[in-house]
Amino acid sequence: MAAINGKDIHKLIVACDAGMGSSVMLAAQLRKELKKFPVEVSHTPVASIPADADIVVTHSELATRARQAAPGIPVVPFEVFIGDPAVKRLVTIIKEGGDLDV
Amino acid sequence: MSDGLTALLDPRGIRLDAVAADRDDAIRQCGRALVDIGAVLEPYVDTMLARERSVPTYLGEGVAIPHGTTDGKDSVVRDALAVLRFPGGVDWNGETVSVCIGIAARGDGHVAVLAQLAEVLLDPERARALREATTHEEILGLLQPTEGAPAS
Repeated sequence: MAAINGKDIHKLIVACDAGMGSSVMLAAQLRKELKKFPVEVSHTPVASIPADADIVVTHSELATRARQAAPGIPVVPFEVFIGDPAVKRLVTIIKEGGDLDV
Repeated sequence: MSDGLTALLDPRGIRLDAVAADRDDAIRQCGRALVDIGAVLEPYVDTMLARERSVPTYLGEGVAIPHGTTDGKDSVVRDALAVLRFPGGVDWNGETVSVCIGIAARGDGHVAVLAQLAEVLLDPERARALREATTHEEILGLLQPTEGAPAS
C-alpha cells in the first residue's frame, strides 16, 4: 500500500460514468470546499482520466475500472455521495497536510 | 441566477404527491416527467434504469437523483430537472426515498443547482424541509443556488 501526502495533490479528478449527476455534484462540492487551496478539481468519465492527475475519487462500483484506466494514479473509492468518510479524510489531508494510504 | 433555476425546473416538472410501486417505477416516472416537458426523448428513460443498476443514485437524506448514462446523452434535448416527491416513500435498495430529482443534461448548466442540493442535504433541517415541501415555491427556494456559488 502506497501513501500520498495532501500537499502533493494539485489535480483531483472525480471520475464518473455519464458525468451528469452525482459525480458532478461531488466535484462541485469539493471545488467549493477546496477553493482556497492550490487544487484543481474536475470531473471526467472513468475512461478519460488525464494521465497527470494526482488522485482520482470515484464510486466504489467504478474503482476497478478507474484503476485499469489510470494505472499508477491513486484511487480513493467512496460509498456515499454526500459526507463519505473517505472523501472527508482526503479533504482533511489536503487542507492540513498528512498522508493518506491509497 | 433565478433565471437559471427557472429555465431548468419547469413547473410542470414538479410533482408533489407522486406514488410509486418500487424504485424502477419511481425512475420511470422521473423519466416520464422529463419526456413530458420536452427535455428528453423516450429512449433516455431506459438508460436511467441502466444507470441505476450499475451505480445507484441514492444520495442520502431520502433523496435520489436518477439520470441516464453516456449512451443516453443523445436523447437529451435540453438540460432540465424534474422533482418528484413521494410522500409515502419508495424503497431504494433498503433506503427510503421521499424525493427524486430526475436529471437530463448535455452540458454543465445544472451544476450550480446540484451543488446547492448538496448543501441542502448536508443541513438536516433543510433536508427535512425538502422532503416535506408541499409547494413549488418551497422546492424552488431550497434549490436556488446561493449567491457566489460557482457557475460551473
